[in-house]
Amino acid sequence: MVNLTIEGRTVSVPEGTSILEAAKAAGVLVPHYCYHPGLPVAGVCRMCLVEVEKMPKLAPSCATAAAEGQVVHVFSDKALEARKGVLELLLINHPLDCPICDQAGECELQDYTFQEGRADSRYREPKRFNPVEDFGGDVLFVANRCILCTRCVRFMDDVHEAPVLCVSERGDRAMIARTGDEGLTQPWAANVVDLCPVGALVSKDFLNKARAWELDRTASVCTGCSQGCNTVLETRDNVVVRQKPRANDAVNQFYLCDVGRLDYRWMNRTDRVESPKIRMHDVLSMVDWSIAMREATRLAEGRRAYVVASPRLSNEALFLLKRIITKTGGEGVFRCATGPEAPLPGVEDLSLRADRAPNVTGAERLGFTRRDGDPFAGLRDGDLLILADEALEGLDVAAARRAGAVVVVGTTLPVGVMPHVVLPIANVAEEEGTFTNLRGRVQRFLQAKAAPGLARPSWYALADLATALGTPSDDCQLPSAAFAALAASEPAFRGLSYERLGLRGAPLADAMVGAA
Amino acid sequence: MPLDPMQLEPGLWPFLIATVVKMLVVFTLYMVVVAYSTLAERKVSAWIQDRHGPNRVGPWGLFQVLADGVKNFVKEESMPGDVNKPTFLLAPAIAFTMALTAWAVIPFGAPLPTPWGKVDLIVADAPIGVLYPLAITSLGVYGIVLAGWSSNNKYSLLGGLRASAQMVSYEVAMGLSVVAVLLAVGNVSLPQVVAQQQVGGWNVVLLSVAAFVFMVSAFAETNRVPFDMAEAESELIAGYHSEYSAMKFSMFFIAEYANMLTASAMFVTLFLGGWDIPFTDWDTTGPATVAKALATFAIFATKIGAFMFFFIWIRWTLPRFRYDQLMSLGWKFMLPVALLYIVIVSSGMVLLDQAGVARGSTAYRLAFLGVNVVLMGLLFVILDRGRLISPASSRLERVRLERLRAVAATRSSIAAGEVR
Amino acid sequence: MAISVKVMERPVGEVSYVRATLKGLALTLKHLVDPHRVTIQYPEEKWDLSPRWRGTHRMLTTEDGKAKCVACGLCPTVCPANCIKLVPGEDEVGNRYPLVFEIDEFRCIFCGYCQEVCPEEAIHLGRHYENAEFNRARFVYDLERLTAQTHPVSTLWDPADPRGE
Repeated sequence: MVNLTIEGRTVSVPEGTSILEAAKAAGVLVPHYCYHPGLPVAGVCRMCLVEVEKMPKLAPSCATAAAEGQVVHVFSDKALEARKGVLELLLINHPLDCPICDQAGECELQDYTFQEGRADSRYREPKRFNPVEDFGGDVLFVANRCILCTRCVRFMDDVHEAPVLCVSERGDRAMIARTGDEGLTQPWAANVVDLCPVGALVSKDFLNKARAWELDRTASVCTGCSQGCNTVLETRDNVVVRQKPRANDAVNQFYLCDVGRLDYRWMNRTDRVESPKIRMHDVLSMVDWSIAMREATRLAEGRRAYVVASPRLSNEALFLLKRIITKTGGEGVFRCATGPEAPLPGVEDLSLRADRAPNVTGAERLGFTRRDGDPFAGLRDGDLLILADEALEGLDVAAARRAGAVVVVGTTLPVGVMPHVVLPIANVAEEEGTFTNLRGRVQRFLQAKAAPGLARPSWYALADLATALGTPSDDCQLPSAAFAALAASEPAFRGLSYERLGLRGAPLADAMVGAA
Repeated sequence: MPLDPMQLEPGLWPFLIATVVKMLVVFTLYMVVVAYSTLAERKVSAWIQDRHGPNRVGPWGLFQVLADGVKNFVKEESMPGDVNKPTFLLAPAIAFTMALTAWAVIPFGAPLPTPWGKVDLIVADAPIGVLYPLAITSLGVYGIVLAGWSSNNKYSLLGGLRASAQMVSYEVAMGLSVVAVLLAVGNVSLPQVVAQQQVGGWNVVLLSVAAFVFMVSAFAETNRVPFDMAEAESELIAGYHSEYSAMKFSMFFIAEYANMLTASAMFVTLFLGGWDIPFTDWDTTGPATVAKALATFAIFATKIGAFMFFFIWIRWTLPRFRYDQLMSLGWKFMLPVALLYIVIVSSGMVLLDQAGVARGSTAYRLAFLGVNVVLMGLLFVILDRGRLISPASSRLERVRLERLRAVAATRSSIAAGEVR
Repeated sequence: MAISVKVMERPVGEVSYVRATLKGLALTLKHLVDPHRVTIQYPEEKWDLSPRWRGTHRMLTTEDGKAKCVACGLCPTVCPANCIKLVPGEDEVGNRYPLVFEIDEFRCIFCGYCQEVCPEEAIHLGRHYENAEFNRARFVYDLERLTAQTHPVSTLWDPADPRGE
């Protein structure tokens, strides 16, 4: 450990830490562009220059190791003057097209210029111009806005280990370019959009859709696969418009794969079930929640519950389904879509997993059986079939006719089955809950938008349903309470609570130590 | 058969046809003039207030009346709940009809020669003459009273009550002021009144006190400012016609202006020589010609126009009276003055007759002029100390004033607990 | 509490009703024959508006008739009355362009912030105040309507020339 003073604050950091990281620990943000904690240090932008006493020149704080007894001035006149010069030079060829730039509002060039830059430019000559280039995948390259920090090049080279980007030409003609024709089609390539501190690399999916300052941001967990990457759901006017990674060293570091990144549109589906329904004269009629529950009670009378659940349901919902199964001596199954695995080479144990659902582990831990091929195999004649957020797409539903009654707890109506009772629930973006990822890490997601119509959060609807089917579940009147009940009754979840999980999650009691 | 050019062909039919034609012409002219007097009111009020008045419809806003008429015809007729329906519907009709009928006996020009004989420019030369308009205009108040009563609205009712009380009060003064004229003329026929003035000079000069009383009463009778208590909008919303809309309201409106016109015509006939052209005998002597008829009609119209203007001018100058002031002016001032004046005029006539001064002679006229000048002087210079309007607020004698002040001071000091 | 009576002694000249009436008639007649007309005769004459008069909006266009707006979103952000509705998108050549740009002139308080904040000098307030419509919905000006306006635009307050001289 070394001790040093930054802006008058004394910090103690491990040997080899850069001054920039040490300053972060001291609560001081040193402006920087090329430095990124997940990437190798390049030291090309010269933005992080700080004054270190007894050093003859200003030091690039990202590339200077903290040493015992250093006294660092981040905001001294000398440092500020130097950074102001750097900013002026960066802006020489920057087009200042903030009004049409998607990065405006979350742009580090804007922020630092506003914070420490000059009010005007002294540059009168024409600016350099390069055309906009489609980099493939989800990425559009606006060359004029680039400040050549090379974060994207280093990410593709060192983290993705697919060197498709490089800095081409030199001097003032230098620009980011593709090495071949391949472009950014790799499964994790779109991360360069997040890494780019300015608006040079922008997402085609998000292009011109919304302004950064209009968005509401909610911590969530990606539902694309069982990796459970931490994300931020960004909404505008009750519509999810973007999903971005949220840093979590234990799961996904700073990254999110392209599949997960674009897997948000289904959250905005408008063909949702918006009110409880019951079957009357072979037609589904809208009714009150209380009437639907009474109908469910009537149908369940003396029947065994056979639950086909979705691994996209939260731990809380699956736990309440388990209560119903246990009460009636029934059975719970689920099926899970699969796809090819796509690891990110530079990060240990980070991959787009084969199981393309967020809570496969949770379902298995709560006693649900995985039956990918035929989920109705265990269904007996006269059973009460509960379809929990399972739309039955791509399944042969003939077997489901064996069921004596069908209760649907879902966001949409199932394909090919006429239910007796339909209970509308909220989707992931509309409720609170937890997922368990494939390494047994339980992680919370929060509500980002409002549920449509009379739809209720799944834990709410299922707690009522469990009560209606004879398992009093008054202990589950909040998602946190439902999780507390889960933690109390399931040994694997023992000791966990929403407070304990926080926004970074915590592993199950028996999860593999050291695994993500 | 050769016709006497100075006489209308005898018989019922010529008389009937002439009368019907006169009625139609008079009615049409009358309605047009009434309509345009509403525009005149708006224009004059605008000019007095440094505005322009209606100037959107037609040149100088001349077609504004048409627009208003069309508007009133197509507006929604509202009928409030719980009104006395027959009366509610009848009231505007009464007001309207009575305002129109009063015109029948007013001569409006020298006789008009026609191929069928001489036609008198008067719709009906009724022998009762001056009594007829007095009677008819007092019937007009029924329209207002019934409107106020049937509207089932306290403001309307109060407006109607005020109107009737006011009418009754000023009717007396008006009737008595006319008596002075009738004394001088010796006849109640209005053509005779005009003829007398052509010879003996205008009554406004010779009977100026009567003219003054008649004028003030005319304002009160027509419910015009400063006596428009019946529709005092600061107290009674719109008084008796609060609940009326569209054409029914319009009929009250027309009636008001028709009444003004009638009152003007009465004043002109009784005191301003009727259709007489002043300072010339051309109009009264010699055979009747079309030119004379037209000229006399024009001068009659001019006189009425001037008096109408006076009506409007007063309206935009004076504030409204308080109700007690109105009543006290009517009963405590106008009535005694009119009564006294009859006594003075009749005594004067008897005295002059005894003295052998011929009626209509210059001496006779000068004597009357002198008496009136003295009386007007008394009226305006000596009596006019606030007593005219409200005797209650007139000047006090100094002694009495000081006694009152002492009383007031003692009372307030007792109230303040200083003296026990 | 006794009623105290305020007894006034009025001067002779003021209690004469006839004299006061004549005075009043003279005054009104004076105005009748010599009107002091000080009002602007509105539809025929119009007041010269200040160059900084802020009236209904106008969207300026480029030479080819397209709105200058690039849908940057600053005006709806700065608008204190929340009267601007903007949905950004792209035009036929892929430039950022407003798909929907609506200003609710009823909601607008005519503060001029949108004009001040606009980086493209596209949205302007206008020197215009004759906005009568038969229908409330017509007061929501869409992009087409805003670009079709032809009235002069207002100028911003210039700190160097604070009194606009």
